[in-house]
Amino acid sequence: MTENIQGAHQNIYKPAIMKIVDRHDEAPGVRTLKLEFQNPADHEHFKQTFRTGMFGLYGVYGEGESTFCVASPETRKDYIECTFRQSGRVTSALASADIGDLVTYRGPYGNRFPIENFYGKNLIFVSGGIALPPTRSVIWSCLDQREKFGKITIVYGARTVADLVYKHELEEWEKRDDVDLVLTVDPGGESPDWKHRIGFVPTVLELAAPSPDNCIAVICGPPIMIKFTLISLKKLGFEEANVYTTLENRMKCGVGKCGRCNVGSIYVCKEGPVFTAAEVSRMPAADL
Amino acid sequence: MTRILLSDKLDNCVARWRKAGLTVIGPVKKETFSSYAVVEKAAEFDLGLVLPDRSIKGLFFPQTEPMLEYTIKKQAIDTKDFAPPSDKRIIFGARPCDASGLAIDDPLFGWDYKDEYWFQRRNETVIVSIACTRADDFCMCTSLKLAPDSTKGSDVLLRPLQNNKGWLVQELTDRGREAFSQIADLLQEGSEPAAPTVVVAEKFNLDACVAWLQNPANFDSSFWKEISMRCIGCASCTFLCPTCHCFDFQDEGDTYSGIRRKNWDSCSFALFTMHTSGHNPRATQSARWRQRIMHKFNYFPGKFSVNSCSGCGRCSRQCPVDMGITETLQAISTLKP
Repeated sequence: MTENIQGAHQNIYKPAIMKIVDRHDEAPGVRTLKLEFQNPADHEHFKQTFRTGMFGLYGVYGEGESTFCVASPETRKDYIECTFRQSGRVTSALASADIGDLVTYRGPYGNRFPIENFYGKNLIFVSGGIALPPTRSVIWSCLDQREKFGKITIVYGARTVADLVYKHELEEWEKRDDVDLVLTVDPGGESPDWKHRIGFVPTVLELAAPSPDNCIAVICGPPIMIKFTLISLKKLGFEEANVYTTLENRMKCGVGKCGRCNVGSIYVCKEGPVFTAAEVSRMPAADL
Repeated sequence: MTRILLSDKLDNCVARWRKAGLTVIGPVKKETFSSYAVVEKAAEFDLGLVLPDRSIKGLFFPQTEPMLEYTIKKQAIDTKDFAPPSDKRIIFGARPCDASGLAIDDPLFGWDYKDEYWFQRRNETVIVSIACTRADDFCMCTSLKLAPDSTKGSDVLLRPLQNNKGWLVQELTDRGREAFSQIADLLQEGSEPAAPTVVVAEKFNLDACVAWLQNPANFDSSFWKEISMRCIGCASCTFLCPTCHCFDFQDEGDTYSGIRRKNWDSCSFALFTMHTSGHNPRATQSARWRQRIMHKFNYFPGKFSVNSCSGCGRCSRQCPVDMGITETLQAISTLKP
């Protein structure tokens, strides 16, 4: 176990203060905030501990805290980016915060994607809707050291064209010749000028037919997408140990005490949020 | 020869400890319920209770506790920590099951990240337990492999004398020895025998229950629905439980200033696990009751090598619909693993 590196006799529930330095609307109701640490010690702690896949609790005093991933990669630690859908009390407060406003961040918590184990391998990223942000952290962590990986394929889909997030980055990835980008929208979600695929992510993935040889799959999406994507990957010949995903559960403490993120015997906040498909298949399905 | 504390010296002890700066706490009967509460005189203790209605947990992990105070100014947020209280305390007359409950939760509050609000209080509190000579139908410590005279979590264990005039003193930790050194001259040597501890019948076979719980096939058993049919999800069992530790954070105040509090929460509530999307991993009361039982007797021991139950029986004793861990585990122990 890692020591609580912030030292003894301190409030482990006290968040760091962050300044919003940029914000970007990704899709209807979905916004990205770029945050900078205000206290150098907090920033130093983040720089030393953050690895891709870890999460944090973002908050606004008076409203509370919400758990989401760090959407920025481990190769860029000067700031934190988070992307969220405005939905509840905290996300509404975060969405109405302006550039220059102060919000809070607690973390980074949890485990990570072991990307050094992916060196030399082909990677396929599969994600749906608002689940691109956690995948994007891994994608950029790999693209920022592109030479260490084999072929990189990204399969991303959303319900409608408008719901695709990080549109500017999708364009960038599409232009790169060292990335294969497969975009899709659900049937009926296309716009008149849509040039990409139409269909659900698992179907489109099967059509793209990535080879399972020497390949790692990273998938993230709503539970229903994960379920069918796992089936498709199995059909394609992927072994469960080579498929990674990240679980998103409700959390309050983030440090294994408040009790709500348990899936079976697993504390998602401490043993996750990153799991292999093999680990997920051992969890009680009804608890997911 | 062992050391003996006579009941009629107890008031002097309380005065001595108070003079030494200790807050003295013990079982006290109030108008509507009994609990562990601060006393000034020994006469306020009610040592005849089988056990207080409320567990000892709240003295270490209060029902609500301020964590931070925030003030939002133009381009600045001032936050002030609420430090965990540093007053030294002695709890006299704790029940061994309650003391065990604290020791059970120590690893949870300490794994990786140390919750100072818990440990500060743990470190500054001396726990003097009294072995039980009485029990009621709900007591089940023996079923949990504990006993009416368990020393787990206690700094001193007292055993009532057969003549009912006092207690045999068994000091267990340095913290306990230090507290009792302050009353050393009030103790006396004696050879009076201790009263026998109460016989608490074993209510279920724990090993058989655990074996059933550990079988993944039983996770989806219809048993869970049947046994929890009448649970109304009131969370009384979790709040009264000496080991249930789930909590929530809530901000009390407005956009400009306020207090962030840590409050008891419960796995019995539907909102406990509800995702923002509306998806709820534990959407039914039976799934929530299963989580509570699994967590206590399968998951928690898997992590920390100890059951998250000390057998106090409060969950059954005070359940408004007469459910509880005892009934569930009794039923499980009759099932095929």
